[in-house]
Amino acid sequence: MLNLKKLLFLLIFFSASSLIAQDCKLKVSGTIYDIKTQQSIVDANVYSNDRKQGAISNSQGFFEINNLCAGELHLLISHIGCSPRSVFINLTADTNLVIWLDHSNEVLNEVAVAADQQSQSLAPQKTLTAESVSENAASDLATVLEGLNGVTSIGNGAKISKPVVQGLYGNRLSLVNNGVVHSGQQWGNDHAPEIDPLMAGSLSVLKGSAAIEYMGSSLGSVVLVEPRAMPSDPHVHGAAQYLFESNGRGQVLNARIEQKAKALTWRFASSLKKNGDQKTATYYLRNTGREEANALLQLEKRYAEKWQTKLYYSLNSSKLGLLRGSQIGNLSDLQLALEQAEPFFTEDNFSDRLAAPRQEIQHHLLKVSQLYSLDKNRGFELNYAWQLNSRQEFDLRRGDRNDFPALSLQENNHFLELKYRALIAKKWHWASALQYNLRDNYNVPETGILPLVPDYINREWGAYFRIYKQWQKWAVDFGARADYILQNVAAISISVPREVLRYRNEFFNPKATVALSYQFTERLKVNLNLGYSQRNPAINELYSNGLHQGVSGIEEGDPNLQEEHSFKSSLDLSYQPNKHWNFEALAFIQSINNFIYLQPQDELRLTIRGAFPVFKYEQRNALLSGLELQANFDPVGPLRVDANFSYLRGDNREEEIPLVFMPANRVFGALNYQLPALGAWEKLELQVSNRFVFEQKHLLVSQDFVAPPPSYNLVALKASAERQIANNRWHFFVKVDNLFNVAYRDYLNRQRYFADDLGINISVGLGLKF
Amino acid sequence: MKFRLIALLLAFSSLIACSEDEPETPVIPNEEELITTLKWQLVSQDEQDTLNFLFRDLDGDGGSAPTVEAMDLKANTSYSARVQLLNEIANPAEDITEEVSAEAEDHQFFYETTIGGLAVTYGDTDLNGNPIGIISTVSTTDTSSGSLSITLLHLPDKFATGVSQGDISQAGGESDISISFNFNVKP
Repeated sequence: MLNLKKLLFLLIFFSASSLIAQDCKLKVSGTIYDIKTQQSIVDANVYSNDRKQGAISNSQGFFEINNLCAGELHLLISHIGCSPRSVFINLTADTNLVIWLDHSNEVLNEVAVAADQQSQSLAPQKTLTAESVSENAASDLATVLEGLNGVTSIGNGAKISKPVVQGLYGNRLSLVNNGVVHSGQQWGNDHAPEIDPLMAGSLSVLKGSAAIEYMGSSLGSVVLVEPRAMPSDPHVHGAAQYLFESNGRGQVLNARIEQKAKALTWRFASSLKKNGDQKTATYYLRNTGREEANALLQLEKRYAEKWQTKLYYSLNSSKLGLLRGSQIGNLSDLQLALEQAEPFFTEDNFSDRLAAPRQEIQHHLLKVSQLYSLDKNRGFELNYAWQLNSRQEFDLRRGDRNDFPALSLQENNHFLELKYRALIAKKWHWASALQYNLRDNYNVPETGILPLVPDYINREWGAYFRIYKQWQKWAVDFGARADYILQNVAAISISVPREVLRYRNEFFNPKATVALSYQFTERLKVNLNLGYSQRNPAINELYSNGLHQGVSGIEEGDPNLQEEHSFKSSLDLSYQPNKHWNFEALAFIQSINNFIYLQPQDELRLTIRGAFPVFKYEQRNALLSGLELQANFDPVGPLRVDANFSYLRGDNREEEIPLVFMPANRVFGALNYQLPALGAWEKLELQVSNRFVFEQKHLLVSQDFVAPPPSYNLVALKASAERQIANNRWHFFVKVDNLFNVAYRDYLNRQRYFADDLGINISVGLGLKF
Repeated sequence: MKFRLIALLLAFSSLIACSEDEPETPVIPNEEELITTLKWQLVSQDEQDTLNFLFRDLDGDGGSAPTVEAMDLKANTSYSARVQLLNEIANPAEDITEEVSAEAEDHQFFYETTIGGLAVTYGDTDLNGNPIGIISTVSTTDTSSGSLSITLLHLPDKFATGVSQGDISQAGGESDISISFNFNVKP
């Protein structure tokens, strides 16, 4: 999280005053500010590599480069603790720039908007930039997001996980990829979101009012995956990266190329990832390899002033192995597996063979946007997005059936949206939209197995508005939305003879949020967020029926489930007593009535394959509460210290027992040290970090097959440097995770029933910008 | 301006007009892999007695209870035993035993009992010389009573310690069958 070496280049204002353009007498000047402290930045380096001319900002943050020739010019702006960014100018006259930089990689991000205005979000929002993602290039989305305080992950294995925000995940946490709610088989805890973090420009978690703009079943928070800003440079530029990691002998190759050509602004990016069996502290995890290929194409064209068209296409294709020893049959198989020191089928040697059990997934996202600005302050946006998610899961089967998936689902999702944004009278920001979504989920009849979730068509019609205003020390943000949902379901009965059962459900979900913010002093700010939301039961909660490996038991839906009602309030406070210290604190409490969860039944179902525990979807009133604390210390000099802590508690209020699958509390600390440049090596930086995860003690023995694992402590090291070679900027890093090769298990990783989590991992990365 | 706006709204609403499509009728899968029935036939050495044990569960994971039929054995008798697995949801019923013996290296039956003096010895082997357990010999000594469980493991480690002697604890694998019969050994 606090890798703190980021420079986020936020805004450049051009104010050009025309002189008679004389050859090589032009001047570029400007002032550089820190976005967070609003103070000017001293000693920032501004350099034009194509002209071999540069300057350093003075005590007012001001710089000036004289005697420049007219023409195209690339400026590289850098400052200690930031990675440099390039600015392109087509120099025709003397030019003055205002440049905002950010030293931390956690910034209050602006929300992407259609017109030239920026709607701000009062909701607490934390962001990870592309730079910090690239140093975790081999990790999956949820693991990368764990870099943000308050975010954890749930899954099955180290690279198959989904994010958990303030205790909510899956159906209750929407993932928004490029403005489109990600559509996939969200119900399974072992179904990782099919999004490649390397394709993103930033990853952030929205915990309040801005989340109301997204359709879907979120109960408060939203994970935003935003693409990079499109290039503004008429030359072809790009970046490439290679990473090797020792654990699993993984390799990642990632490249991006982009240009703002006259006719069209374009970007193409692609990544390839592969690893073999991963290793715990002492043994290999058989069949935990992965192969992944991703691609992205972005096109953007502006016709005249007012019209703009954007196209975004991404493909995520992956093959993920699941631990061989984790495929079990009945309850006694599970009990035998739990007793093993090492999982069954563990091999002595590394292998990159990928066999069953495994998942093969393809996800396509195509989005076309038409933007139309009425004037400077008002604009329309028409978006259409299509997603195709096809998921096949292969188990070890009898006969020649290993090549036939045991689960094969195809989901087609069409989304249409008409958005309107405006800056209306008295500086109120207005945002509103009409939205429609159709999701068609289909079981491909090739499995020879009764499907766990039925075929269905889910339609949703929604509308929202949001208004925002800031005056003096106050800011207010209010939003409301309503969604009507129609589900048509065609299920196959579990009783014999098999027959088709049809269901039709209608739901109406209102949501509203209000956020208030007050700036007491320049150094102290308080936000209050209140939100009401509703979520209708998902198809799997209503109709799933049968053996589910993900819960090691028989899972039964309940067609009579009611909607969940959530009321959430959160208060967050940020305080900078002086320019060296930063403190942030967030406390929240969320009451969810009719909270749907899997309740173990007092029944062991006897089948010919033995006895299975039975789990049924039931509803209770639940209460979640949590606290997130963060402190940063940045004394003058090369040192920087970051620390954070998160606490969460979930309770079933009716039976007064804990909620299952709530992340354990954790504390993180990092120490960064910047070394002076060593010859051509610049930005030498060392980081040592420590993560301690407490044991999940808020759980009854009867609520799981085995007690939650004990607390663990992981130490990581990182060293990075940059070097200019010819016209290119190279970035090097070495990272060691789990430095002391600790054997540990995490409560929310299902693989913990069978095996330890990952041991030591050394990664070496090499990046190039051109 | 207004026209454009209205045109846009019209285009939007026509695209999402409420046509209520039902999902197409799903294909009911041909569950050819399912095992619904286990038959265990014991024939005494003198071929005087034939005992038929049965475990049948037609709805698989569903809620209705299986049918279990067990018989009593005679003391001091040796029986040759044979297991048959059926998928009776298919019409006509399919014999799954054939699939198991075709993949004998990947399967093994385990017999465990609480009945004193009762012993089950394997009567067949796979290509590696490890037991399969479709065919076995059951022998009794004194009168007794209790239960006998039959487990069929798919992909066990048949070379692990004790597995070829019928010890399941180190075998791993996944249970395709796991049932038990209660019966007496009578004089």
